[in-house]
Amino acid sequence: MIELKNLTKTFDNFTAVDSLNLKIETGEFFGLLGPNGAGKTTTIGMLSTLLLPSSGEIYIDGELLTRKRQDIKQKVSVITQEYSMRQDMNMDEIMEYQGRLYYMPVRQIRQKTEELLAFAELTRHRKKTIRKLSGGMKRKLMVCRALLTDPQILLLDEPTAGMDAISRRQMWNLLRKLNEQGLTILLTTHYIEEAQSLCGRVALMNDGTLQEIDTPTHLIERLGAYAVDEMQTDGVHSHYFHQREDAISFLSHLEGQCTLRDTTLEDVFIEQIGKRLSQ
Amino acid sequence: MELIMGIVTILWEKWREFIRDFSRITMAALIAPLMYLIVFGWGIRTSMNGQPYLYFLIPGVVSLTTMNGSFNAIAQNLNVQRLYEKAFDQVIISPTPLWQFIAGQILAGSLRGLYAGGLILFLILPVGTGLKFNLLSLLILALNGAVFSALGIVVSFLAKNHADVPRFSNYFIMPMAYLCNTFFSTEQIPHGVREFISALPLSQTSRMVRSIAFGEPADLRGILVLLTYLIVFMSIGLYFVYKKKNL
Repeated sequence: MIELKNLTKTFDNFTAVDSLNLKIETGEFFGLLGPNGAGKTTTIGMLSTLLLPSSGEIYIDGELLTRKRQDIKQKVSVITQEYSMRQDMNMDEIMEYQGRLYYMPVRQIRQKTEELLAFAELTRHRKKTIRKLSGGMKRKLMVCRALLTDPQILLLDEPTAGMDAISRRQMWNLLRKLNEQGLTILLTTHYIEEAQSLCGRVALMNDGTLQEIDTPTHLIERLGAYAVDEMQTDGVHSHYFHQREDAISFLSHLEGQCTLRDTTLEDVFIEQIGKRLSQ
Repeated sequence: MELIMGIVTILWEKWREFIRDFSRITMAALIAPLMYLIVFGWGIRTSMNGQPYLYFLIPGVVSLTTMNGSFNAIAQNLNVQRLYEKAFDQVIISPTPLWQFIAGQILAGSLRGLYAGGLILFLILPVGTGLKFNLLSLLILALNGAVFSALGIVVSFLAKNHADVPRFSNYFIMPMAYLCNTFFSTEQIPHGVREFISALPLSQTSRMVRSIAFGEPADLRGILVLLTYLIVFMSIGLYFVYKKKNL
């Protein structure tokens, strides 16, 4: 279980994360959503000990997380937003370095590397140095590297950024499967559709604080499960309804182009965060 | 074994780097010291205390080569890993104890310094100077390399951008290379400045290595001075990795 207690991070006079309280249960697939600058990456940074909190604590399975806690760090793998790899190493070296940093025997590292690179269809590129790989390949390699050490907790900061649609779907399937096997996953993403598809619960974050936490379904139901998009001269205006009949009734009174559809998590995000940002 | 596994990992990483960039590392280690020896040793033929100046110069050049070799192996590389490649993030995230990362860097840097110094010693062998370099000289040179590797770690953590490490090199490492008992004795420097320069690690190294090379009794208090520098720089490095809030 991951528990954040009054977690705060300030940079000079700017508060990036403000008194964050959050519990993520073991085996949960949790999504952290928010606009740029909401504090998602800073939160992941503190969970991975790259950043130390200005105040507050992080507990993993009830133990206080610090940079010195090898036992806790052994359980966690992180896929950072940036390609955090030595550019002059090849894929095999990247994997071996990671395995060694996690105290894995070399034979086991090599065996798992074979499996993971084959799974990610990277085997034929294994001798290329990182600087010669495409963005998508680097991203896949980061996933392989994170899975090499059999983590119990996986922190993913924009894991599918830069991936094509097919690779992204492959990644979703993989993450779903890993979560089904019991891996606890914390995901930040700009792709709301990704969070809706994968996450059991999501938190909406803005200005370093949590605005909402719930399952995607509950968040959608709270807004209204049915959306009517009305095309007006200044753009699309969406209206939300709890009952389909109400939506149809509203629709029948509208003139011009309009559509009825299911509400998505993106609608919740725009209503909750987008409108606040535009105010 | 687990107690030092992190150190072994860093040594492995540095070994891979050494193999990969072998020719570049070797050439970079050779050029400057060879120029010093050719220009000041053979080109400008002078003598010092009745002996060829080259004899005085060699221990100083070997000392400054280990300094440069060690500092350059760590400072710029770690700076790039931290600020640009973000590869250092993976070390912080991993369960490898960060003190082992620091110790591994220092050890690897020291070995790279010894390699660079060793190259110079190998190249001057045919000259037949009669200078002595024994196990104690190597130990002192290794310690000198460790001090400057640790300094390299500190500088790389203080650096805010790519240019900061070369800038530090220009302002601190290069003056030390010229002034610290390498090309001339610190005895020729006026009082006040002399004491300051003599206390610098490279001055201590050059003095001890030169004494051994000339078969004179070496004042080994310099080893204590080097150890003090090493402990101070290593402690600052440890402070950074364990306590700095935004690495």
